[in-house]
Amino acid sequence: MDKPAEITSSEQKITRGKRSAGQIIGRILIYAVLIGGAIVFIFPFLWMISNSLMTLGETATRVLLPKVPQWSNYLEAWNQAKFSKYLYNSVLVTLGTLTGLLFTSILAGYAFGRIEFKGKSILFGLFLATMMIPESVTLIPNYLLIRGAILPLPGGSWLNTYWALTIPFMANAFSIFLLRQFFSQIPKELWDAARIDGADHMRFLIQIVLPISKAPIMTVLLFGFTASWNAFQWPLLVTTNDKWRPIMVGLWAFVQEAGPQTHLLMAGAVISLIPVLIIYFITQKQFTQGIATTGLKG
Amino acid sequence: MTEDSVSYKPLNSGVTLDKLKKREQATGYLFILPAFIIIFVFGLFPILYSFYMSLFNWRVTKGAFVGDSNYLLIFGSWTNLLITLAGIALIVAAFWLWDNAFKTLKKGEQIAKIVGAVVLILGGVVFVSGWGQMYDAGNKAFLNSLMVTLYYALGTVPAEILLGMILAFLLYQDIKGKDLFRMLYFLPYITPSVTSAVVFQIIFSRRETSLANQIIGFFGVSPQKWRFEITPLFNLLGANLSGFLAGPSLALVTIMIYGIWSFVGYNSVIFLAGLGNIPKETYEAAEIDGASKSQMFRHITMPLLSPTTFYLTLVGFIGTFKAFNHIYVLSEPSAGDTVVTASLLIFNNFYKANQYGVATAQAIVLFVIILGLTLAQNKLMGERVFYG
Repeated sequence: MDKPAEITSSEQKITRGKRSAGQIIGRILIYAVLIGGAIVFIFPFLWMISNSLMTLGETATRVLLPKVPQWSNYLEAWNQAKFSKYLYNSVLVTLGTLTGLLFTSILAGYAFGRIEFKGKSILFGLFLATMMIPESVTLIPNYLLIRGAILPLPGGSWLNTYWALTIPFMANAFSIFLLRQFFSQIPKELWDAARIDGADHMRFLIQIVLPISKAPIMTVLLFGFTASWNAFQWPLLVTTNDKWRPIMVGLWAFVQEAGPQTHLLMAGAVISLIPVLIIYFITQKQFTQGIATTGLKG
Repeated sequence: MTEDSVSYKPLNSGVTLDKLKKREQATGYLFILPAFIIIFVFGLFPILYSFYMSLFNWRVTKGAFVGDSNYLLIFGSWTNLLITLAGIALIVAAFWLWDNAFKTLKKGEQIAKIVGAVVLILGGVVFVSGWGQMYDAGNKAFLNSLMVTLYYALGTVPAEILLGMILAFLLYQDIKGKDLFRMLYFLPYITPSVTSAVVFQIIFSRRETSLANQIIGFFGVSPQKWRFEITPLFNLLGANLSGFLAGPSLALVTIMIYGIWSFVGYNSVIFLAGLGNIPKETYEAAEIDGASKSQMFRHITMPLLSPTTFYLTLVGFIGTFKAFNHIYVLSEPSAGDTVVTASLLIFNNFYKANQYGVATAQAIVLFVIILGLTLAQNKLMGERVFYG
């Protein structure tokens, strides 16, 4: 048994030595494709930043880089084009949505993962089914609902209110599913021990489960943040003025109203992207891992 | 847990097991109540209400009850729809015959292939005639938007899968800066779609000096109108075709380029995770057996990656039927209906034309299509895919 093993290992050494020249070319090719891909992916971003620092004239003649960076474009976009207001609205809407989302999905995720009750699997299936519903179907009735046309709402119509932008997104099946998966894997012994100490579900959830669930909660927050920050179709419907208009609708309104002010538009686009980039760079590992593990489930 | 924060409730003092179970149930319902209210009100109830609305002549406010009229506007007649569906059923049956039938017979495989081919041709003919009749008698705008959506799906999903797989495979090799590459590839996916679509709007403008025109000019191609170009792609390239075969307009191709750019990174991250799940021992064993790299790729990597590929294909396909934001931002009115996908058309009918009843009927049809695709996905996931 010893001899063949020795032979194969020495053979391998020989073939490895022989391959190396070809391997080097192969590696150069790999890097060339990877770097080429990276350039294609990030070029629009670099172009956006470059254009945001140009004068209006320069954006029309398409010099790749501005002669003198016009940092004042950002000031102008911030003040005159009201991107400060839109950003502020988006931050508040996102914070409110995430608070509600955490509250509802932690409780529901815990119930689906760790409590026995009648009709649990039917309800869970019903929740999951909502993931494949296209927004086209829910949009119109929800719009009527928010305008107070289906049920009377306190204050009449909720158009242009904070509530219209936050409440509909304060629960979703995906977050509940994600947390349920994690909660249901917590060993039963922990619950038994807590129960002997007289803890009920709520106390167990707050004192034992939450402190060990930072990773999945972080994932829920990240997905919730991007969804809320990127929201466009619904806010476009329910905001008709600047009062609560979030940044993506603001950016679109600027395209419609300001027309050819490319330099300011690009400055606004950069402003709308900065919060996402900051959060992405801080939580990058978590983000891609979250996608990789949850993406496989949808 | 601090001692005083624990209120002591001995479990066995007078509390029966039955009561405990009831309390457990009540806690469960209480915990899901907040989520249930929101998901029911904004996710489930609207489907029923959409259906209800689609039965009325609803324009901003409710009008007269019209029954299936809004649906007949789409299909022309129910017979047309039935013929089209029968065509689809025959096509599905052909593939089933191909795979499963006559296995017990001698030469069963050949018979199955012949019968399958006949049924496939028959299904194709039935489908095309049903669709043609619907197109003549029904709502051209909506049926056209379904074709645009199909173009968009066929033009983006396979490219996204292929490019995502290539990048993931290269990233999986032993290379430096793997994390940096992955991070950069993923950037388009996490970028808000309105932000990046606004940037693409300017890159692909019809100006002769636009970035896209400068890039193709570098290769000696004359400037194009991009998002404003209504001419089908293949005709631009010199062919003279009409109908579905002429291909998508250049305006739609521009939106496809955006779609591919923004989605490849997502696919490569998922593929990378899929590759990581293939046990190293499998490759080692194959290497000992003398398998070459390309053999290993064909006989180990591809089959073991097939669940991921399949998942991404179907999620991508369903996603294109839902896509809205970037299509809305990148679609130019002067590109006409060549860029109007189903979700866009429904939105326009509702938001711009105030045709609530018509829009909800179309939304219900779109929903049924997505439902069908999802069910097909679940069924096929179970049957076709090789699980490692």
